Order: sequence, then C-alpha cells, then structure tokens
Amino acid sequence: MFFHMVLERNMQLHPRFFGRSLRENLVSKLMKDVEGTISGRHGFVLAVTGIESIGKGLIRDGTPFVTFPVKYRCVVFRPFEGEVLEAVVTTVMQHGFFAEAGPLQLFVSNHEMQDGMEYQAGDIPNYTSSDASVRIQKDCEVLLKITTVSVVATEIFCLGSIKGKYLGLLNDRA
Amino acid sequence: MSVASDSPVHSSSSDDLAAFLETELDSDSDSSSESFPIEQAHDADAQVSNHRLKRQKLEYPEEETENVASVTFSEEISEASSSKVPCEHPGTFGNMCFVCGQKVEVTGVSFGYIHKGFKLQQDEVTRLRDIDMKALQSQRKLCLVLDLDHTLLNSTVLRDLKPEEEYLKSHTHSLQGDVSGGDIFMLEFMHMMTKLRPFVHSFLKEASKMFVMYIYTMGDRPYARQMAKLLDPKGEYFGERIISRDDGTVKHQKSLDVVLGQEKAVLILDDTENAWPGHKDNLIVIERYHFFASSCKQFDHRFQSLSQLKSDESEPDGVLSAVLKVLKQTHSLFFQDGGEDLSSRDVRSLLKQVRKEILKGCKIVFSRVFPTKSQAEDHPLWRVAEGLGATCATEVDASVTHVVAMDVGTEKVRRAIREKKFVVHRGWIDAANYLWKKQPEENFGLEQLKKQGTDDVSAAAAAAASAAAAASMRTVVVRFADADAAADAAAYHIATAGFIGVSRRTQRSDAAAAAGSCVNETNKS
Repeated sequence: MFFHMVLERNMQLHPRFFGRSLRENLVSKLMKDVEGTISGRHGFVLAVTGIESIGKGLIRDGTPFVTFPVKYRCVVFRPFEGEVLEAVVTTVMQHGFFAEAGPLQLFVSNHEMQDGMEYQAGDIPNYTSSDASVRIQKDCEVLLKITTVSVVATEIFCLGSIKGKYLGLLNDRA
Repeated sequence: MSVASDSPVHSSSSDDLAAFLETELDSDSDSSSESFPIEQAHDADAQVSNHRLKRQKLEYPEEETENVASVTFSEEISEASSSKVPCEHPGTFGNMCFVCGQKVEVTGVSFGYIHKGFKLQQDEVTRLRDIDMKALQSQRKLCLVLDLDHTLLNSTVLRDLKPEEEYLKSHTHSLQGDVSGGDIFMLEFMHMMTKLRPFVHSFLKEASKMFVMYIYTMGDRPYARQMAKLLDPKGEYFGERIISRDDGTVKHQKSLDVVLGQEKAVLILDDTENAWPGHKDNLIVIERYHFFASSCKQFDHRFQSLSQLKSDESEPDGVLSAVLKVLKQTHSLFFQDGGEDLSSRDVRSLLKQVRKEILKGCKIVFSRVFPTKSQAEDHPLWRVAEGLGATCATEVDASVTHVVAMDVGTEKVRRAIREKKFVVHRGWIDAANYLWKKQPEENFGLEQLKKQGTDDVSAAAAAAASAAAAASMRTVVVRFADADAAADAAAYHIATAGFIGVSRRTQRSDAAAAAGSCVNETNKS
C-alpha cells in the first residue's frame, strides 16, 4: 500500500557545501540518499515530494560536519499481509514462481495455487491449469494476495498466494 | 460422499462416521438418509447382505476409531495445504520457508542466479537433481558447464589496448540488431572490448542439441549477463542458467553445488584446472584463448597475442571443434544402447575412457624431464601420459615407441635414434592432452627447440624448469594458431605448435631465477 508521509532524517553536510546554495545541496543530498532505499518500518521510499522543515544545524564535535534534522514528505510503499496487488511474473520454477510488484519481490509457491495448476518445464516454463485455460509464464500479470511479509536487514521479501476468488492470471503476455 | 461404497475406516469426516453409526443402529430398511442412495436401489436380499457387511464393517470402527479420528483431525488442520505432512521447509526466500511462510533458520545452498534471496536445502537440491536427471534422460541430454573468459571468448579493458590493436576498433560489430553474426564487440558502457572465439556459434548450436548448458564464470553478474546476450541473443542456449562469481558458494573456486544436475551427468569446459578443486574428473581443460595483448600480459606470456599478429584461430581445425568432437563422443557413449541402465552410467568414467584412446599403444620413456630426486611415477607428466592411455617406463627397451626428452645429448635419446624410435619433447604429450588427438611426432622434434633463439630457449628452459619442479598448482599452456602467422620469433612458437608457456605468476618468479641455468641443470633442483 502506498503512503504519503512525513519522515525525518539527520543529514550531515560538509562545509564545502555551505553558502548560498546550502539548502539546495541539502535537499539534493537527501534525495540521493533516501530515494530508492528501504526502511524497515516504512517500506520502500519511492520519491521525496517536498521538504517540511529543516532544523537548526549543529556542528558535530571534533569534525567540521554539520547535522541538520530534516523533515520531508515522501511516497512510501509498504506491503501488508492480506493485501491484494498486481504483479508481473519474472521467473517460473518447479516450486512456484517469482513475481515483482515494482520494487517488491514476491514468491508464490505451487502449494498456494489453485488445485490443478501443474508445472510445465521446457523452454518457457509455465504453470498451466488442468483445463489449459490458464497459463502463467514469464511477463504475465497476476493478481495475488500477500500471505507473509518478512523484513531481512534492508530487504523485504513476501510470499503470496493466487488461491482464491478473483486471484490469478490477469492478462496474457502482451 | 459415497459412504456406502467405502468402509467406515476410510470415511473422511468424523461427522459422517457418527451419522453412519447412528443409521446403523437404527433399523436398516428405514435408513433412507442421503448417504445411502445406492442401498435404496438394492433389493431386499442385497440389503440384507449389505446389512451383514455393515455389521462386519462396524467391528472395525470400534478398534480404529482413534486412528480415524486422528486422521480426520489433522486433515482439518491442514485443509488449506494439499499435502498432509508438516512442511519440510525445502528452502527459503529471505528468511521464510517459501512453502509455509514460517520464519526458519537460513541454511542451505544459495541459488542467487535463479532469484535473489533464494536458498534451497540440500535434500531438496538432491530431489531436484533426481527429477532433472530423469528429464534429461528422456531428452537424451547431459549437462555442460561452460566457462567464459579464455574459453569461449576473450575480453579486455579498453584502457589496456595496445596501439597496434587500435585497428580492431573499426572492425567491431554493432550491438544493435542481430548480434549472432558478430565476433568482436565494443562495449563502451563497460569500457571493454570482447572477442568471441572462432567457431563458438556453431559450437553452441551443436552442443545445445546434446547438452543443457550453463555458464559459470568468475566475472560478476552484469558481465556474465552481457556476455550471455552476445553468445546467446535469443536466450535459447542458457536461459537463466548463468552463474557468476556472486553466485558461487566459495570465493575464487567453482563448484557443482549450485548446478542443478547430477554430478555423474555433468561435463565442465574450462581453461583453468585449479578453479574446480572438487570436480577434476568432470573437467575438460581447454587451451586458453589469448586474443588481446592484455590477456597475454595477464599470464606473463612473452609471445604476441593473436590481435597483434593480426591472425586468429582456425575455425574448422580450432580448439573448440576438437572439444566438440570429444563431447559428441562422450555423449554417444553415455546414451549407447547397451541394455545397461542409464542411471548407472557415469560421465566421468566415460571421459576417462575417451581420454585413454588418445595415446593408446604408445610406450613412453622420459629422459631428463623429471628431477632425479623425485619418483618418476608421481610426476604430473607421467600421470598425464598414463591418463592419455600410454604406458610409461623408466628404461628403453624394444617395446618402447617414444622417448620424451629435453635435450639430444642423453643416452636414452641416442639409443632411441639408433633404434628408429620417435624422439619428441614434452609438448607432444601436452598437445595430445589439449587437442584430444595424437599429434604428428615430426612437429615436436627436439631440433625445433634448438632452432629457436636464445631468448626462447631460456624461456623454454624456464618453462621446463618450473614445470619439472613438480607442484600441483600449475597449469601448462600450449600455444596453437593458424600456420599462416607472420615469421616473427614469437610467431614461430605459435606456428610450430610446440611452445610451452607457464601461466602462473608466482611460479614465474621461480622460473626467472632458474632461467639462467640450462636444461641439464634444472633436473637437479
């Protein structure tokens, strides 16, 4: 789920950046540091939309660096258990398939698929239903439900399921 | 629920059992519940006999009620999953078991090339390997693991290009569009230039009919993927099976633990023997492809690279086509219809068998090749010769066919010349080892060693010195190229197909120290 929230960060700035463009330097450094990273609590920080406030800078003892507490608004994406989202299949294996929803990597095990879905090996490995009406292969879009979310260090891994009403294949490969 | 046809022991719900017992205790003719539709159709006799059967069946539930109850109870728990056993956690994605989602301890082999964060337990890997083996057998294919650098291609950083190699920049093939016709590519974004080995496209096409192929390289993942795009633009040969150094389990070493194929059905093609410490029997060592000058420099060779000589390996007679023949031979031996069960065949023993055909029938005596102090039988060259099918002896007698020597002056050599035996230098054995074919002895005569200038003799001596001072961490490189190379001293090495080079930098310093001494003295060290 996406959120637009205010986060805070202490930015350290070297004196060479002081001067007229100090604020600009601070903001660009913030964007470089934070966009695209993963925060365990908040999920993926996707984009900084604006700066709320920049506090007074304090010089760190013993170094020339100055620390500014910066409050900024940003869009974050955090997966939740039970959340339903669309994903694109990236790799199909005997145990299940990997899919990605933007920056999030998910795995759907073959136990979490409808009964009758069988793994077909070959040049293009895929999962086919027993009546051959549904075929899930690389680059297919699926609607899946997140069953487990796990945060390991700065990585987020999720397990999903397509066993359920309205879940499963959305479109064939374009 | 066809409870009538099943005995109560197999009923899948305790509720049904209760219903059954209830109806059983009621009068049977009145038991017209939906669970007994079949009985309704039976006539009276049938009903009586059914009743008797039910009575008998009734005995069973008394004893096995507990079993039934426990089965149904656990079934109700595991209703969601299709299996009735607790999850074995075959592997992890992140720190969760990817089947049940529980947080488990992260052990197991990391399969990063399939997906980031994906690990499989050893039991699961074994299970997958067995499945893979069956699939391969039905397709009549084996596994082939290919190295990239110096085996299928040669890459250089643009910085290291020598001035005489600048002409190559105008010959590069475009990266856009069809890359399958190209041989040399400029990769500006990686600051590299890559030359594919001659014959590589045909090699991959032929090999893909007999083998499921993997790439295993010591380069990093982006490099590996980029090279795979050049070698295999359609993704039909390798698919996702691209293993880079980021995916290996042990640093600086390659191992078959991340390959999902059974060891007895995997062949490896690599230029470095020491990269595969645990799998030397599966390995076919191939001669290094030195196209760029920086590649020669990397291994401390003093001869000129192919780009400097403006020549290249011959396509039909090159190393890759020789290796392809060996692969075809081994493959046909494996799938030969001998009535033997395929699962008992081991590609490693078949490879040894093919190797032993090369110098079959040759009896070799070595002269001044081994240090006098050490045991001749333990010397690597002796072992290589025996591996090639030759028998080795220490004394010249009538049955000897070849004498391998480094100098014409020895007694053994003179006797051999008298008795019209072949006298060759050790390059003959190395050539047979790398080209998988017995080479004509005329190309490896001792006169060739003498013709070369003093530089080259000392280089050859240095090579022989370090090669003779036995240690296991050594690879010997034999240089071969088209015979039309320029008449240069270095080129002469290449043209005569007999030069030996030492590839290890560490041994080179020892060799340099020993280079001052001539051949005779090296064997005393």
